[in-house]
Amino acid sequence: MSEKRADRTLGPGHDTFWEYCAKGELRIQKCTDCGGMTWPVAQTCEHCGSEALNWERMSGKGTVLSWCQFHQDYYRGAPPVPYDCILVDLAERVPFISNPKGFGYDDIALGMAVKLAFLDCEDSAGPFKLPVFERA
Amino acid sequence: MADIYKIDMPPAARELSRKASIVGIGESDYADDYKAQRAKLPGFESPTVESLTMRAFERALADSGLRREDIDGLACSFTYGGPPPEEMAQMLGLCPRYCETNGNIMAGPLPVVCGAIAEGKADCVAMIYGVASRSIGRVFGGTGPGSLHGGPSSYYYFHPWGWSSQAAHWAMICSLYMAKYGVREEDLGAVAQQVRRHASRNPNAVMQKPFTIEEYMASRYIVRPLHLLDICLVNDGAVCLIVRRADMARDMAHMPVDVAGWGEGIVTHNKFDFMVRQQLRPQIAQAGRQAFAMAGLSQAEIGHFEGYDASSFHLINQIEGLGFVPQGEGVAFCQAGGMELDGRLPTNTEGGNLSASYMHGWSQVAETVRQLRGEAGERQVAGLSYAMTCLAQTDQAHPLIFARGDAP
Repeated sequence: MSEKRADRTLGPGHDTFWEYCAKGELRIQKCTDCGGMTWPVAQTCEHCGSEALNWERMSGKGTVLSWCQFHQDYYRGAPPVPYDCILVDLAERVPFISNPKGFGYDDIALGMAVKLAFLDCEDSAGPFKLPVFERA
Repeated sequence: MADIYKIDMPPAARELSRKASIVGIGESDYADDYKAQRAKLPGFESPTVESLTMRAFERALADSGLRREDIDGLACSFTYGGPPPEEMAQMLGLCPRYCETNGNIMAGPLPVVCGAIAEGKADCVAMIYGVASRSIGRVFGGTGPGSLHGGPSSYYYFHPWGWSSQAAHWAMICSLYMAKYGVREEDLGAVAQQVRRHASRNPNAVMQKPFTIEEYMASRYIVRPLHLLDICLVNDGAVCLIVRRADMARDMAHMPVDVAGWGEGIVTHNKFDFMVRQQLRPQIAQAGRQAFAMAGLSQAEIGHFEGYDASSFHLINQIEGLGFVPQGEGVAFCQAGGMELDGRLPTNTEGGNLSASYMHGWSQVAETVRQLRGEAGERQVAGLSYAMTCLAQTDQAHPLIFARGDAP
């Protein structure tokens, strides 16, 4: 059963990100000129403006940098409130908004180690794999 | 909002300090309009940006004691759209030689007008701002009707994870802060409580009834750890500031209030790193340093502060970031009465965005003018010479410093 979620941003570049997710890979754009990471997906490096971006595969390791729990039903049940979001500090030093899998708000402590997982989801464009994080 | 607030500000240069003064202020009836909007009695007509703005302008003009002919500039700042400036000038009965659209939120419009006055483009500018946020059904967060399109990617990119809204930004910054400094929700409650206590002395505040920490804790979460009472209002309103060349601003109806300093700090990349991990401190601190240097003042000389309390926590972030309070001590400072009228830094004395009115930083400037004039009534801070405001959103900081016209 896949979870209904609000629509992804799609289009050039964005589609590539989700295609990698479908293969079980989390890849973030890395600039071959300055080495900086750009997330969310962009057409040019957010640090230096270069167009030379490569899709770098993330290790999937990270720690929890911050977290919150949604009670306001902004997405009309997709996902149903209350639900949690975490900001994962990827090992590659990219802060990544995600959802915790198998743990929740009251279990979280600053710096808690997590690892990548994928959740079967669906939006108006069809099924997709959503990168989420479980306890490491 | 990265793309919509960005306007070219003049440099924070010493020679531009105190070259222009605010000589008139006008605001709409926030409290009455809010009540009427909620009640929607038969015959109720939703206010429009035009109707709100015209009311604020008439009040500012009357407050300044000037005649329409004295106003040779008009600067329009409409966050969610409004008439073109030429049309607005006609509605207001003005024939300005300087007539411009001028950003929207209080992140640059005032320095721009000070710059225009210094360049001789105008001697006396009516700055108008208006929003009908509630009447147009403005929604913050999610993907439904009325939600924000465009703006920074953090406003829409994370929809699939269920993450959006201004409240979520503040919640993310706040959780890390609370974990780092051992602040509990019931501690944070003191901030919204303090701002509401101030609002109880402001008849034009939308929310005036003080609450207990128990009531705060019982209020529903919006995005935990933030409760409803931690999040700003959404209401309709308008503000008008009449700004005149400083040397022409003496011997007027009221004590002039000089624009003494400004600054700017903007996140251009790595937003979540700057915003959450670093709590926007590099931007707030940089902008603050510019403003203090331009005004030739230091934190100790500022007697009143008006921050951008889009959330209670964000107000703490600004008083720490600007160097009024050491890192991690802001909530305790508030709990100990530091933001009270007789505290070390009386803060958001009209009730801020949380309790008085959400005018994107404009009502904070109006309150600063009242305070520096000595006309804040029951909530007057004693012996003021200098005050500071700060507009800081999720990726920028724009502080302003003001001086009473007779202050050295």
